[in-house]
Amino acid sequence: MRFELTELTGTERSLQNEVRAFLAAELPRGSFTPGLGMNAAKDPAFSAKLGQRGWLGMALPTRYGGHDRSAVDRLIVTEELLRWGAPVGHHWVADRQSGPVIARFGTEEQKQRFLPGICRGELSFSIGMSEPDSGSDLASLTTRAVRDGDGWVVVGRKIWTTWANVNDWFVVLCRTSPVEETGDKRLGLSQLLVDLHAPGVEVRPIPFIDGTADFCEVLLDEVYVPDELVLGQVGAGWTQNTSELAFERGGPDRWLSTYLVVEELLRSAVDAPNGAAGPELADLLGSAVASYWVLHHLTVSIARAIDAGGSPSLEASLMKEMATRFEQDVLNAVLALTDLEPGLPARSLFEQLLVTATLTAPSFTIRGGTTEILRSVAAKGLQPSARGR
Amino acid sequence: MTAPHAAADPLLVETVGRLLGAAASFEAVEQAEADGWCAPAWDALAEAGFAWISLPESAGGSGGTLTDALAVVRAVGAHAAPVPVAETGVLAGWLAVAAGLALPDGPATVVPGDVILRIEGGRLRGEAVVAWAARASRVLALVDGPDGLSVVSAAPAVLDVTRRTNLAGEPRDLVRFDVAVSDVELAPAPADLDRDQLLRRGALTRIVLSAGALEAMSQLSVDYTHQRRQFGRPVAAFQAVQQHLVTAAQCAVRASMAADLATRAVAAGDGAFEVAAARVVVDEAAVLGTRAAHQAHGAMGVTREYPLHHLSRRLWAWRHEHGPAARWRRQLGAQVVAGGADALFPTLTG
Repeated sequence: MRFELTELTGTERSLQNEVRAFLAAELPRGSFTPGLGMNAAKDPAFSAKLGQRGWLGMALPTRYGGHDRSAVDRLIVTEELLRWGAPVGHHWVADRQSGPVIARFGTEEQKQRFLPGICRGELSFSIGMSEPDSGSDLASLTTRAVRDGDGWVVVGRKIWTTWANVNDWFVVLCRTSPVEETGDKRLGLSQLLVDLHAPGVEVRPIPFIDGTADFCEVLLDEVYVPDELVLGQVGAGWTQNTSELAFERGGPDRWLSTYLVVEELLRSAVDAPNGAAGPELADLLGSAVASYWVLHHLTVSIARAIDAGGSPSLEASLMKEMATRFEQDVLNAVLALTDLEPGLPARSLFEQLLVTATLTAPSFTIRGGTTEILRSVAAKGLQPSARGR
Repeated sequence: MTAPHAAADPLLVETVGRLLGAAASFEAVEQAEADGWCAPAWDALAEAGFAWISLPESAGGSGGTLTDALAVVRAVGAHAAPVPVAETGVLAGWLAVAAGLALPDGPATVVPGDVILRIEGGRLRGEAVVAWAARASRVLALVDGPDGLSVVSAAPAVLDVTRRTNLAGEPRDLVRFDVAVSDVELAPAPADLDRDQLLRRGALTRIVLSAGALEAMSQLSVDYTHQRRQFGRPVAAFQAVQQHLVTAAQCAVRASMAADLATRAVAAGDGAFEVAAARVVVDEAAVLGTRAAHQAHGAMGVTREYPLHHLSRRLWAWRHEHGPAARWRRQLGAQVVAGGADALFPTLTG
């Protein structure tokens, strides 16, 4: 397990400045309600503007509407969007993972059909992995697809499918061969591209802990999926899904969820007439800034390793586990320091962010793989030295 | 494409690792704690000139970069080698060369940059805890005098040195300065050198030593838990134990990246932000990392017969040297407050 030191090039710094200037002009502070990291609002018009700038599907091939840019370039853009609280909800999953897995495993026809829309910020995707009885033990899932002519008929339920009520598609991981045949529950799984508006698909919102309703359950009642919508190989779903999870885990979305709470705490302290910036605030910020700084550089290191052809999935697991705990720890430090009694309707942006962060923070260490599962994955990368064997 | 940056010479890293693997054995480190000196490790490094890397050959140094010098320091940390390599070259040697004083022969040491020594009425006075002072050929220091900041080089014989150790049993002597200026070497400090810079370098050596120790501690914990069996299985097979291993590895990863970043920044001529931030990162990693490693080792880790304490006691000691981490944290936070909210993100991605 190694995180190499790297440095942003001049071109990469220029991109960073370009995104900062764009956000300051497009979404000036005070003109919108910023969100918390990847939980930010859904705004197709904003996603379309990012698409026009060439900032979606950045690492996808040019011939499918992408930009052949690096993982580091994509990281720079997403990092700036997240820290600004920009409304990334519409394109988030499509840009982060659905696009990349389609580019990697999809047929030529699928790439031509889906990728240009993803890169324009138009096509939106949800994640079809978890089920009511299959969370951490994902391979135990029971949604199944049965062969029918030139396609499959899918029956089952998927949950935690954020924005499925308004999104276009989701990638469904389901069983295409029974475990009794394959002998291993990780075999016989497949990924299908399912239209969320297809007959037999029913979406039910699941009210989230903060009162929002973009968390969903999707019921699949004999949904017909033609062969041309099978993603990758039939039976190879587990391996493909694991690679999708690597896209999901190693990014800045895992340490920026509560960043704006800290920034607003600082803003309100500096702006306070009596100068509320005492030694306790300095201690909190000294600690927080040091952590943000090192997490940022570890994230750049992972992206650089991906660009060099590596597959740092163990590193990504190690990273997500500590980064998401940090998101909670830094929030708790703010809560321990503030005089504010958080309530609604919020009297300030700081209060609004604090309320939402406090209510949603438990999800940070659960979504995308729980702390416990990630520790098990990361531990596989910790092997005895020659001396230890 | 990776941006160009000066990485340490891999051959050097390998050579130093091999030398210390032999010279800083468990027994040698134990013996050094009784003797106050580790001759095998010091002699091996000094004979190869590794204690004077980054000092120009024209001044009697070994040449090379600060990055190379700190790669040696990192190996010293990883092997828990009780030798004043950081003190001799990166701190005392650097200070001597900067002021045009003679590079001391043999091991040298330095008064940390946050200690105030004064020249008044022709005498140098003050008090400091100084690493390996009794064994050093010279003690270097920055002092405040009537003519401004000066660099002093003094033989321990003219000072009042009381032997003490840190938590790891490494010599940290109490040195009282009360000596005529004519009995020490003295030169004006160059205009671009100040206390902050010396303190920053001192802190950087502790950051780098600690990163080396945390990496070694993580691996030692993995090795031990794969050998130790309970309930019929290696204890590393238990998820509860794996969680400690992951925590220790994460601490090593964070400390390692922080040390690399701080080294690069200081080598490029600045590093005020990076050293402070790295100090905070490494401090937290030392606390959480030692806790996880000890828990993974069970009772074996708290005996003197097993090497974990060579690493953990050093990590606890180094937190407090060259400015306690808590002070660095508060100063870093005060800088952030002074910068304001809009500067926060550019600062941490800088």
